[in-house]
Amino acid sequence: MSEPTGVSKLSNLLLASLVIPSAFLALTFVLHPGVGEGTLVRFANSMLTSFTMISFLLLLTLFVYGDARKRPMTPFFGMLLCGLFGTALSLFFLSQGDLLMEDNGSVRAQALSNIIRFSTTVIACAIAALIVLGMLFASLMHTPPARLEFEEE
Amino acid sequence: MEESLQAFFLFWLAGLAIIVGLMLGFFSKQSPIRRFGMVLLTVGTLSILATPWTLSFSPSSSFGHFLGSILGPSVLLGVGLYNIAFSGHVPVGRLSESDKRAGFVMVLIAMLWFEGMHWWVLTPTYPDDINRYWLIFWPTLLVVTAFASFVVYYIVKTVGDERYQEQRLLLTLFAFTSLLIILGLLRDGPHVESTHFAEEFWLAGADVFGLMVGAALAILLFALVLSIYEAQQPLPKQLDPPTTHQLEEAAKHIAKHVGGVNEDE
Repeated sequence: MSEPTGVSKLSNLLLASLVIPSAFLALTFVLHPGVGEGTLVRFANSMLTSFTMISFLLLLTLFVYGDARKRPMTPFFGMLLCGLFGTALSLFFLSQGDLLMEDNGSVRAQALSNIIRFSTTVIACAIAALIVLGMLFASLMHTPPARLEFEEE
Repeated sequence: MEESLQAFFLFWLAGLAIIVGLMLGFFSKQSPIRRFGMVLLTVGTLSILATPWTLSFSPSSSFGHFLGSILGPSVLLGVGLYNIAFSGHVPVGRLSESDKRAGFVMVLIAMLWFEGMHWWVLTPTYPDDINRYWLIFWPTLLVVTAFASFVVYYIVKTVGDERYQEQRLLLTLFAFTSLLIILGLLRDGPHVESTHFAEEFWLAGADVFGLMVGAALAILLFALVLSIYEAQQPLPKQLDPPTTHQLEEAAKHIAKHVGGVNEDE
């Protein structure tokens, strides 16, 4: 059998990244067929909030980029436009009746609730990364350093 | 002060202070600005942690309560893993064996603490119901840990050279989190029923997928904006080719410093 190439390794990795969460969600659906209400609304809210918040975060990183580039204004305005576009899009969809509304009474309450939920998800992802990478790093640091063995002349 | 104004200053402005503080604290090159960033981060975090007392009328205070609830196990986990890692084969500043043992105990307590929050009486409750952010956090943590451990296992297997111990560890972590998910889906906890957990788990999946798609789009646009900007920059000034005299000088310097080694030496 031939050795997997770089492209096939990457596609296997992408496949694994999709298969694992999908398998868990499929299992959830099999065990509890009643779940699934409000999934699309939650997905859309999460996507819009994530796009907007990360655009603004990347906008802040441009201050660091600006240190090495004589503070250019063009990329700054570009990312500001992205963030504002995300905000406008979120507010537009939230104000379309019940389209993206969950258990909140007003557009403002829903938008603020989305931001807090986004923060909660980010914290969970950060702690998951801490667990996985921390354990990997700790294990790597406890592996004895490799020794080069030379054949006797 | 009006309630909404109070919530703005003590919660939302504090949240902004955390983000700006993080960016300044980690990315700025000047040390006074870095220190200022750390102060902003600390003040913002303390303000949000205090919201169950300062903003008890606002629903946002549940988030402060949730943060306070997970602070203990998260800090134990971070410090424990740090102790374990830096008591290994590090050339400088190696921690002692007792630090390593303390690290293991901390990680174990952190894990048990998190488990106790789902399976025992430690579930964060605010004011009378289970904190809704805990119900978002726990399934998200489980699904992302399972996913990340498997993906990192695959990367270590593909890229690493004889990293069997790491592969076993990551597979064990994957199996452990998968088991926790399955148990949560099958069995009721003292405060969270399996049906409720399943609903929240499903929505956590939607949240994580949404976050990944949104983040990917934002990063793609960021890269596009920067590449368009860089492409519009004029090329740097080209230097003239070296003259014969400069080449001779360079050859002299090279000959002086790079000498051949005779075989009989």
